[in-house]
Order: sequence, then C-alpha cells, then structure tokens
Amino acid sequence: MDEVFKALADPTRRSLLDELFERDGQTLSELEGRLPMTRFGVMKHLRVLEEAGLVKTRKRGREKLHFLNPVPIRLVHDRWVSKYAEPWTAALSGLKQDLEKEE
Amino acid sequence: MEKVFEIYIKTTPERLWEAVTDPELRAKYNFGVGVDSDWSPGSSYESVHPAAGIKIAAGENLEVEPPRRLVQSFTALWSEDVKGEGTSRVTWEIAPVGDSCQLTVTHDQLPEGANSELFGGWPMILSGLKTLLETGEELTTPGSLRYSGQESEAWSA
Repeated sequence: MDEVFKALADPTRRSLLDELFERDGQTLSELEGRLPMTRFGVMKHLRVLEEAGLVKTRKRGREKLHFLNPVPIRLVHDRWVSKYAEPWTAALSGLKQDLEKEE
Repeated sequence: MEKVFEIYIKTTPERLWEAVTDPELRAKYNFGVGVDSDWSPGSSYESVHPAAGIKIAAGENLEVEPPRRLVQSFTALWSEDVKGEGTSRVTWEIAPVGDSCQLTVTHDQLPEGANSELFGGWPMILSGLKTLLETGEELTTPGSLRYSGQESEAWSA
C-alpha cells in the first residue's frame, strides 16, 4: 500500500491516471502526446504506476496498451477513507432521501 | 471498450474459485447478489437479488477451467438503461503467486462509451472478495452495505 500512496503523490502520475480514466488502453505514444514531457519521463512514471498495480499493460500485436486498474484505490478507500468520511456522507444522503420522501 | 481489474488475495486458487462460483459466498461480497449455474462449459448463469427479487445479470459460461479461468458473457439487467448496453464479456483469471493469488477480471466487448454502471462495481466487489477470503469477514463500509442483505431499496429505487 506504500507504493500506491507513493505513486499517487505525484501530479504527473495522477494526470496519467486521469488520461486513462478518460480513455483506457492507450499506447505510450498516445500518452506522451498528451503530456508536456519526454518519452523517457512518461515511461518512468508509467513504471512507478505499474509497480503500484495502478496500471496494467496488455500486448496487442506490436502495441502495448496501458489500462487503469482502479482496485488499489478502492482498497485505500476501504481502509483509509471510508472509515473517516463515509459515515457522514451516508448519514447525509440518508437525510436527503428522508426529506425528499416527506415532500 | 475494455476494462482491467487486478487484485492480489492471500488464498489458494481452489478457495478463490469457490468464492466466485458458490452462490452463498458470492452474495457476501457481490452487493448481496449470488449466482446460479451448474458451471459446465456452455451452461447459462443467472444472478437474482434475493430480497428485491429482481434479475441483476445473466449470461453464458463460455469457458470453464477450474480453478484458473472462467469466461462469461454478461448482460446487465438491473435497469432499463443498462439493458440497452447489450452483452459484454467477463474473463476471470486466477494465477498463484507465492502464498497468494493474482486475480484478474477483464471486462471487454463493452460498447464505446458504455454506461459506467456496467463495470464500475468491480473494485468494490474485488475488495470485498479479498476481505472475505483473508479475514472471513464481510466489508462493512457504508457503500458496500448499501445494496447488501435485506436493504433492497437501493436496487428497486
């Protein structure tokens, strides 16, 4: 889980995840074209994301496609976010439903 | 469109296969919904929410190779919106790694720009599956409880 936090702690790597969230299965060249960065820089960041399990690659013919794996983020959420934040949002959405029912 | 979901779970391939195919175990981490099938190659399967009594999904078991590989066609049935998305494909792959298993779920043959409800539930399902196999407990985060057990309102809403 340290690797996930470390991978997410960099704005360029978060941009790469956002790019894949928008359009999954992109090649290195496609990703490189979307970021103001050298091919080597993008490769380096993708490697950190892969080691954290946040990006998975699949070979398609000659191309290597990059896919976002959101599961580690869900695990972080279930362990670190939901405990602190979700009881409030759950209570608030419950309150919203109750109020809307009464109307 | 293709989506890839991967998780490592400390368990054996046999236990993991059982958790994916046993209706009662499946319901513990799958929004309260099990799955019914005889699991022979080419057989059909169906998922029905027990409390709400509505069909959630159905399809065919295209490849069945316990405890390593399961390929299913998948038609979502929980709302009119998702029914319109047609049939996609879900591939479960289990690979032992040390004392754990790597589980990869590939959801592909989705239409371009498919409704994210079709594949958006996988991270929560797989997180719950990991918790179940590693601790014997069910996830109790509010999000995971929303659709489970007797609280069927969310499905029928």
